[in-house]
Amino acid sequence: MNERATSEEEHRLVAQFREGSEEAMEDIINLYEESLYNFGFRMCGHKEDAEDILQETFLSAFRYLNSFREETRLKNWLFKIAANACHRKRRKKKGAPDFEISLESLLPDNDGAGRYDIPDWSWDPAETLLQAELKKVIGESVRSLPPKYRMVFNLRDMEGFSTEETAEILGITPQAVKTRLHRARLFLRREITEHYRRGSGNA
Amino acid sequence: MHEQCMDHYERISEFLDGELDEKTCEEIRSHLKECPECLRCVESLQKTISLLKSTPSDPVPADTRKRLRETLRECLSQAENPAPAGESS
Repeated sequence: MNERATSEEEHRLVAQFREGSEEAMEDIINLYEESLYNFGFRMCGHKEDAEDILQETFLSAFRYLNSFREETRLKNWLFKIAANACHRKRRKKKGAPDFEISLESLLPDNDGAGRYDIPDWSWDPAETLLQAELKKVIGESVRSLPPKYRMVFNLRDMEGFSTEETAEILGITPQAVKTRLHRARLFLRREITEHYRRGSGNA
Repeated sequence: MHEQCMDHYERISEFLDGELDEKTCEEIRSHLKECPECLRCVESLQKTISLLKSTPSDPVPADTRKRLRETLRECLSQAENPAPAGESS
């Protein structure tokens, strides 16, 4: 089963779980464990934390699935639980404080005279090393985003939630989602560009 | 950056995501025909978004998958069969 389950499939699995089907439970796990694990890793930056987020999310979900009213997609509900688990983990670990990214700090004039050298993702198996390097650069850039921007970016661009869905998951306005997403993208463009600019300068 | 460029700069993501009305999109498209700096900015942001979205995710490690299922089995069976009163704290 892939991760593009329809809401009908989710509804069927929830109904089967409520009837006591262990198979439905395993299907729900198989459906979303990879995306939840990667979400936790991108948010927290450690595999151990990603595993904690994964366990907390499914544990909480299966404990309360009987009272889940299906007013939203199962996937959205799971990511809401996961987002809250990430918030809790950050508070517990006393992570770096959130800060605002100003649009002014990301204007082209402050940003390398408007020149951006963004690499392409290559699927060529012969370029495994380049892919690994690029993936590392992207991962580090995403982790350097302030948490509230990282959260919106991950939900919107990596998990594919709409602006409205992301706003609902996080309990913020759609406008706040749009503002944070735009600044996160500009920030990531600058980080990636600067990395490759530094790299070519060192070459 | 000119005032008009600045107005558009704030809305590039909404433009690329198709979240603006047609009139505003048309204004931006006209501006991009005349402003190479903004055009470069829009194209590079689009390329950044494509790059980020195409980054493959990692598979869940086998031991993580195993521990997840063990934890769920253990915790959920405890919830179904709570210890008799007085036996647990």
